[in-house]
Amino acid sequence: MRIIVWASFVVILGLYLFATQVPVSITPDKVAEAVSDAVSESQVPVDEDIVEQVVLRSLEKIDAGQRTRLTYLFAAYIVVWLVFMLYVLRLEQQQQVLDQRLAQLEPP
Amino acid sequence: MGNLTTKIIGVITAVLIFISLYLVFGYARVEGTMLEVQKIFYYHVSAALTVFVAFGVNCVFSIKYLIQRKPNDDLLAVAAAELGIIFCTIALLSGPIWARYAWNTWWNWEARLTSTLVLWLMYIGYFILRSALESDKRRTYSAVLAIIAYLDVPIVYYAVDIWQGGLHPDRGTKWSLETTMRWTWMVALLALIILFVYLLIVRYRMKKAQMRYEIIQQKYLREAA
Repeated sequence: MRIIVWASFVVILGLYLFATQVPVSITPDKVAEAVSDAVSESQVPVDEDIVEQVVLRSLEKIDAGQRTRLTYLFAAYIVVWLVFMLYVLRLEQQQQVLDQRLAQLEPP
Repeated sequence: MGNLTTKIIGVITAVLIFISLYLVFGYARVEGTMLEVQKIFYYHVSAALTVFVAFGVNCVFSIKYLIQRKPNDDLLAVAAAELGIIFCTIALLSGPIWARYAWNTWWNWEARLTSTLVLWLMYIGYFILRSALESDKRRTYSAVLAIIAYLDVPIVYYAVDIWQGGLHPDRGTKWSLETTMRWTWMVALLALIILFVYLLIVRYRMKKAQMRYEIIQQKYLREAA
């Protein structure tokens, strides 16, 4: 039981670390390239630098928002598993005490 | 129930928990409003519903104890109450994390939250009462308290209908979920209910062994005197 609880806790923690540490696939270079393409196709005159800054800022906000949401999500699951873990540890402790007492009762 | 059956239930529990974790993080669609935070729902709601099952078992065996006076029924009732508190703690702790994101507050004294906290406190009171009384009185009085405490379960369940305008969604919302979300929730619920059954068997056996130990110990003490 203890192994199951530990293993699932590691799975949750691993998923969280993986989800929050994955490098962002949309790099500033790719943004600059995409903005340049879009501006060249645009039929109205636009300032490429301003558009690039706005897009980069938007991406930062999206990224920050996702990190916040993932933190809430994994905090909840870690709380769930902490409660189970503490309960299983307490059960094991009680079982050990009971086994010791029962062993004392057995005739030598 | 034999050791092998318990082990099989344990393995099924483990498999279901891992499947449900996969479904939560890898299969269920990300909801449009709450995005990733919505995934708290799967274990939060499942834990809350398992609380009803646990306290239901506690109530049934408390009634059975009062009718038949079999100590084993009392042991099952206590084991179920203990697990009910564990699942209720999970629901009460995971809820505020959702609330902080969704409602911008950790806690709100709305009907369902308050009635759930009252439920948790009543079963804490159940254990305080048990620790304060001696054997037969302890079993009888705690069985009566268990039946009274269970009256709060329908209040928690129907709170959103009785006191409208609360923050919790309607009771039927979980059934109108998108298919991948509904399946994920149902597997998570099944996993937690089977986990409850498994822990109930383990806890009941421990309590039974403890009771046997106390009987043998008293016998030795009497013989020694």
